Amino acid sequence: MTFGLLFEQLLNGLQFGVTLFLMAAGLTLVFGIMNFINLAHGSLYMVGAYLALAAANWTGSYLAGVALGLAGTLVVGMAVEVVALRNLYDRDHLDQVLATFGLILFFNELVAIIWGRAALFASPPSWLAGHIDLFTGSRYPAYRAAIILVGLVTALILWYVVTRTRLGMLIRAGASNRTMVAALGVNIRLLYTVVFGFGAALAGLAGLMAGPIYNVQPGMGELVLIQVFVVIVIGGIGSVRGALVGAIIVGIVDTLGRAFLKPLMATIVSAPAAESAGPALASMLIYLLMAVVLAFRPQGLFPARGG
Amino acid sequence: MLEIRALTKNFGALRATDGVTLTIEDGETHAIIGPNGAGKTTLIGQLAGDLRPDAGSIRFAGEDVTALPAPRRARRGLARSFQITSIYREFTTLQNVALAVQAASGRTGFWRPAFADESLLFPAKKILEEVGLEKRMHVVAANLSHGEQRQLEVAMALATRPRLLLLDEPMAGMGIEESQRMIAFLSTLKRKQTIILVEHDMDAVFRLADRISVLVYGRVIATDVPEKIKLNEEVRRAYLGEES
Amino acid sequence: MISRRIWLWIGATIILALLPPVVLALGQPFYLDLARRILILAIAAVSLNLILGYGGLVSFGHAAYLGIGAYAVGILGFYGIGNGWIHLLVAVVASAIVAAAIGAVSIRTSGIYFIMITLAFTQMLYYLGISVAEFGGDDGMRLKTKSQFPLVDLKDPVVFYYVALVLLLLSVFVTYRIVNSRFGMVLRATKSNEPRSRAIGFSPYPYRLAAFVISGAMCGLSGALYANHTNYITPNLMSWQQSGDLMFMVILGGMATTSGPVIGAFALLLVEDLLAGWTQHWQVILGPLLILSVIFFRRGLAGIFYNPDA
Repeated sequence: MTFGLLFEQLLNGLQFGVTLFLMAAGLTLVFGIMNFINLAHGSLYMVGAYLALAAANWTGSYLAGVALGLAGTLVVGMAVEVVALRNLYDRDHLDQVLATFGLILFFNELVAIIWGRAALFASPPSWLAGHIDLFTGSRYPAYRAAIILVGLVTALILWYVVTRTRLGMLIRAGASNRTMVAALGVNIRLLYTVVFGFGAALAGLAGLMAGPIYNVQPGMGELVLIQVFVVIVIGGIGSVRGALVGAIIVGIVDTLGRAFLKPLMATIVSAPAAESAGPALASMLIYLLMAVVLAFRPQGLFPARGG
Repeated sequence: MLEIRALTKNFGALRATDGVTLTIEDGETHAIIGPNGAGKTTLIGQLAGDLRPDAGSIRFAGEDVTALPAPRRARRGLARSFQITSIYREFTTLQNVALAVQAASGRTGFWRPAFADESLLFPAKKILEEVGLEKRMHVVAANLSHGEQRQLEVAMALATRPRLLLLDEPMAGMGIEESQRMIAFLSTLKRKQTIILVEHDMDAVFRLADRISVLVYGRVIATDVPEKIKLNEEVRRAYLGEES
Repeated sequence: MISRRIWLWIGATIILALLPPVVLALGQPFYLDLARRILILAIAAVSLNLILGYGGLVSFGHAAYLGIGAYAVGILGFYGIGNGWIHLLVAVVASAIVAAAIGAVSIRTSGIYFIMITLAFTQMLYYLGISVAEFGGDDGMRLKTKSQFPLVDLKDPVVFYYVALVLLLLSVFVTYRIVNSRFGMVLRATKSNEPRSRAIGFSPYPYRLAAFVISGAMCGLSGALYANHTNYITPNLMSWQQSGDLMFMVILGGMATTSGPVIGAFALLLVEDLLAGWTQHWQVILGPLLILSVIFFRRGLAGIFYNPDA
């Protein structure tokens, strides 16, 4: 195991973490401000991937695909919020879970009807298809590097909006005390729709960027979603900062675990044992991490909730 | 019975409880009064075990309970009633009290129906008689009048056979007649129980209390018998000023 | 004096008991299979109702125990152990242990955290199931031998059906006794008003954990039966979709009622079967149906037949 290999996997972990962060940020804000648990967030991720791919194929341009994919996801997200989810804000979490579960079934099947169940192939644009040279001497896929860049820039923009703008102030206030914000006369409905739309766009962005790396297929959103839950539990509900920290941790732990746990174990136990137990353990790693964090801080690392 | 020493609780920059030191004697009825915002709710929360103080200690019947969570304090005999009525709305009056009796009994079971168990129902009925709710035994708690629900609050606290009763504004929201009845009931009760009474109703306070502590901005500014409290200058300024 | 409720139960039992001869006489053995599947999953729904309906714990990971129970039977069979009693024992005990472990960590949290955590842990088990290639991994494993019991041959579809029916009735009865016992009352009271329960001296944690374990064990039983029913075990049994299905059965039927989970199981699985007969894309219809049922249909189906227990 060379340092170059380690660094490459670290970057992969960062890239995965950034994808998780984009999903987690929107979701945790919706949790924190609207006290609304949205299982269908993964569906927006999937919609983003599919729309971008379809748009890119139709127009022949990757960037057009990105723009249309983002816009499309935003529209779908807001439509879903207005049509279905609005009625559920006052209901208890159980109802929200069940209703958004129904949404997942609907979207997964809708996508299968339109594009089929088989995984679709999405490729990065030609100008990102190459490699860049790292200081370690090895080369790293340009596309993945681009994802990291976009993700970090988005995190920065989010940080700016949340900490430096009025909207951000409302968001932070709402995350720690929703009733107070409503009592202060803020148009809560509008705020909710904006926040939800924000989250949908971020999920769509994560989805369309992830397309070329992971599979574009029905149900892709749910696989990521559960890991996003782990991120939010570790980071703390309602906190964007927690989402970022949690996402990076989860991304790196998961990636390094999958890459190095098996060979690491092979140095301690027999090769066949490591062969079967290694991948199993690696896939369980982030959940074990979550359990450990919960044992010491049941509210997560940076909980936003106050009142 | 209850020794509170230098209890302090902060919420950020707000010092809600500021070095409160107080001793509640066995058998006395001790009222805690103070203007709104004085920190009574926070103090009750720390005594009951819902809030952890930042500093100070609470000793109950000789034992340090400062770090003990609420259920365990309740099992040791510290019972409380809530200021905002907090009962089991879907259960009947009798069932509400029976649950409190069950909690005190410390016994559980997985098979036999709880609400057919005479060892729970009999004591529950007796308590309801004491409080005056026996005629409303089988009424679902949500359908009781507000005053009856406040009575149920007290009944549930009593059913756990407490050594100390923490009553948080038992007369909150009651009309004149209901308040009088509650005061009469508490007068008989005080002979058998040690009671901490938080109340706004001054009539009740002066009729029931053996001693009164006055809480202002999280600090106890005076602890004394009612007659002396009435005359205390600082208290009058802070609290009774407009009324007397 | 037998109450209306008991008459309804007797009636339902008789109908269910008469189903095999009727269905076979009509030459439709498929319905025997379907009914048996519903009975087995109804046991899982009954177990979930204990913690979800009565306890108020929104556990989105209950399918985990279906999987554990099923894999217990499968793995034991894989190693040549066919004794049904051992199958059941391992299924139930393994489920109980895992429930204890997951519950110990999860029950310290509440609300949204609890939902996400239970989902996450189940997903962890799902990944575990996929990655262990020896037992089929992603594709699952075929059951080598059904659980063998003296006197009772599970290979006989009708006998198996009656076994499932009896076990379902037993589960319903046991759950009924538990939720009305002292233990059950504390569970329900804590769901109704947690601060009040703490104030009179009940610590919620031990009660909830115990309920969680009982519920998991019962669901493990269901899983063991399910393995025998399908003869093929895949990790999908532990998927979040399966958990969601179980939750819907409980909600649809009516939470915190004795008959709710059974009614819900029948309703949901029959609807799924019906829709699947129309189109392979039946989930695109089921999804919105479920959403509508949540928005409009709050009390559950059990409320139609009688006034459910408090």
